Amino acid sequence: MFNDSDCLRILEEAMSTTADFAEVFQEVTESKSVSLLNGQVIRAATGFDSGTGIRLLSGTNSVYVYSSDNDLEVLLKLAKEAAAAIKGNDKGQIEALKDLCKTSMTRIEIDPMSVPKKDMVDFLRKSSDYALNYDPLITQVAGSIASSVRTAKIINTRGVNTEDTTNRIRLSVETIATKDNEKQSGRVAPGTMKGYEFINEYPIIDKTKECCDTAIRMVNAGYAPSAKMPVILSNGFGGVIFHEACGHALEATAVGIKMSYFTDMLGQQIASPIVSARDNARIEGEWGSYGTDDEGNTSSDLLLIENGILKNYLIDELGARRMNAKPTGCSRRQNYSYAPTSRMSNTYICNGESDVKDIIANTEYGLYATQMGGGSVDTSTGDFNFAVNEAYMVRDGKIAEPVRGATLIGKGQEILKNIDMVGNDLQLAAGMCGSVSGGVPVTVGQPTIRVSSILVGGREA
Amino acid sequence: MDIKTAEKFMEKLVKAGTEYGFEECEASFASESSMSIDILKGEVASYENSATSTLSFRGLKNGQMGYCSTNILDENSIDFLLKSAMENCEVLNDEDPQFIYCDEDNKDLYYSQITDAYAKNTYKAFEELGLKLEKAILALDKRIDAVDYLSIACSTGPYLIINSKGLHSYRDTDGISLVGTARAIDEDGSVKSGGHYWIGKDIDDFDQEKFLQKFKENLIGKMGAKSVKPGTYKTVLKAEAFHQFFTVFFGNFFATPMQRGLSLLADKEGTKIASDVFTVREVPMYDKALTKIPFDDEGVLTTEKAIIDHGTFATALYDLKSANKAGKKSTGNGFRSGSAVSEMPTNLIVEAGDKSFDELLEEVGEGIILTDLSGLHAGVNAISGDFSLLCEGYLIENGKKGRPVEQITVAGNFYDVIKSIKSVGNDIINLPSGEGEFFTPSVYVGELAISGDDEEN
Repeated sequence: MFNDSDCLRILEEAMSTTADFAEVFQEVTESKSVSLLNGQVIRAATGFDSGTGIRLLSGTNSVYVYSSDNDLEVLLKLAKEAAAAIKGNDKGQIEALKDLCKTSMTRIEIDPMSVPKKDMVDFLRKSSDYALNYDPLITQVAGSIASSVRTAKIINTRGVNTEDTTNRIRLSVETIATKDNEKQSGRVAPGTMKGYEFINEYPIIDKTKECCDTAIRMVNAGYAPSAKMPVILSNGFGGVIFHEACGHALEATAVGIKMSYFTDMLGQQIASPIVSARDNARIEGEWGSYGTDDEGNTSSDLLLIENGILKNYLIDELGARRMNAKPTGCSRRQNYSYAPTSRMSNTYICNGESDVKDIIANTEYGLYATQMGGGSVDTSTGDFNFAVNEAYMVRDGKIAEPVRGATLIGKGQEILKNIDMVGNDLQLAAGMCGSVSGGVPVTVGQPTIRVSSILVGGREA
Repeated sequence: MDIKTAEKFMEKLVKAGTEYGFEECEASFASESSMSIDILKGEVASYENSATSTLSFRGLKNGQMGYCSTNILDENSIDFLLKSAMENCEVLNDEDPQFIYCDEDNKDLYYSQITDAYAKNTYKAFEELGLKLEKAILALDKRIDAVDYLSIACSTGPYLIINSKGLHSYRDTDGISLVGTARAIDEDGSVKSGGHYWIGKDIDDFDQEKFLQKFKENLIGKMGAKSVKPGTYKTVLKAEAFHQFFTVFFGNFFATPMQRGLSLLADKEGTKIASDVFTVREVPMYDKALTKIPFDDEGVLTTEKAIIDHGTFATALYDLKSANKAGKKSTGNGFRSGSAVSEMPTNLIVEAGDKSFDELLEEVGEGIILTDLSGLHAGVNAISGDFSLLCEGYLIENGKKGRPVEQITVAGNFYDVIKSIKSVGNDIINLPSGEGEFFTPSVYVGELAISGDDEEN
């Protein structure tokens, strides 16, 4: 890491022309991972990466330069090039640097970086051994543990001087069932900002069994039907529907250039009155949390929707300039090679009042999606899609046969209004989100919800 | 970090690796410089410039290959790299041996393809082109509301590998990409987005008129789109959509997933897996490809070959490890993804048919054209080949392109689709894929299940 005076020299170079704001972002990331396939350790890797990004703003124009070479002279040259490229009218000032503010939403008992890889292998082997002896239909089991510690230091011309540390660890188990020419999988992939104690305490055998059961059920399942119908989305990773159908459209990245269907809708009803939602980066130990965002702002717990009314957008510095608003502490980037922009953290639909049993009992015919895959959205049109990895038909208020191969599609702005039941079993789940500033860890979440009508894209008419 | 400094460091590292106790070891260095601009509302909204490099080390001990990477090249890094790679070797128990390789007849591999044209890629040149293009897009149709994204980028960089067996392998590449998307609003307030892309080596090769024509077709052509009745439709995957479709399942042609039981193509080499009219070739030095690849990242020379030859699965793609396991020779498809080596294709070419796109539609008569598939990262089961994807396109009515279609899904199985291909067009496009590019025409794939909304019809 550079010292403050080096950072200030870079800022001075960056502000030598017409920028009104400049920022230095320095990052160091250490990572380690192991992967097993059918009990064999097929990959063990270690990495150390560092680099620096320099951003200049002048109104809504931006220049971003970065390098993995942390040599001060290299960065001063880059800052000079950036200063020559920025377009603007006024020359901004550099304010006095504040005292360093160190933050972290990580709480660690056992540092994953100190854990021998052999222990990680032994843990994963328990899962492999169990799965391979579980049922003849289970033909493959893959497992991995990946951990990283990232420290990001930000100094900018407003005197911001912050350093945020995030220790993340993610476990993944995937089992594959094979029948005739068909293969289906079951998967769990919890992620956290706790220490290695999370792995030690994880009920690996129970979860491996769940993966095996899912894979076996799905390999025996028929195809999902194709039709519009009520869809019940299970808690936890079901929250990917909100992430795709609504969350991305609330980011200033889209709203700031009026590219979102939720542009200029603060205070308006955008969802069913039984829907409230938050984006909370301040949940200690949660996968998508952070103490300080990648622009040096304190992270926040933001109420996005209250009883269906749009209350807040997710706003970064550039978005704030475009929207004439204030940043909300949600600016993120995969690493130094990306300029930051507004992103989600831990985003979830809040608990409602319905019991899950009642939601199912009240559904005469529909789809009950218990495991989601990923999805995507076009924020200008609202077209979204997401995949269902495990699902069941619901008939006469009861869970019926399992079905596979379903994709749910719709318009984001419509789907939120069609939520007609919200359960009381809120759960969060870890995932990765890709967007203009790269892939960042996010948590999605929700209680079990029912949408009155979604187009289910299956194979059977 | 310049290549000469890196080279000295790598030589020192490889020597230190052998002394540290690795039986064989290898260092690779990848460096990339890039520059891009984004145009928004008549000005350059953002400008990026970067220089990044990564050094990877891998060492062999008792048949196990340990990896470690960093971007810091100093004395401390040597200790870190060797110690970490050795620790990784000690926990590995992969049954299949890996190799550090050097062909005695091809120790010094060198291939540079950076052209003088790269120097034209200046901030000023990109700005002029971008601003002119944005204006031209907005002038295409009065319904176009905004150009949401217009980015021009170029990058260049060397790649060097040195190993303890004497391999010294150098390759470099450069290129330009231009991507634009715009939004159009119909009289009824409905919004559509669409755009186009261009990749090339020389900015002077950019044909603005051709680009705009395609851009307009991809955006304005969608206006007034609505869903269709669910059912089974004769389906043409337009070149871009076939590119998306084939690429997402192409991992099944790699030997490693086959050997791990993760590809249904295992043991199918030499058997019929696709329609007679379907041939896919790998041509690493293809004259029309922007990037030519004479050797892979393991120091193996690449070869031209059929992967699917008139429907027969001719060969899988092998790297040294998977080839050894299969008792075969590497096909020169070992490339680094991150630091680890795995199979990747170079330049893939679907052999063109003799029909134009319009003639394909005539052959179909009544059916559907799919132009874009969404959610490919989630809506496919890459192993079983099952897919269910959001898509858009056009109806085919009386053998001609009909009204635009949206809010539908297409579902089926990859292996069934390639078996039922009826005809291949001659309208070839190329897009980056794997280490090189994928050249594909539009393909009439037979019948597929389409879900749509009955109420909208």
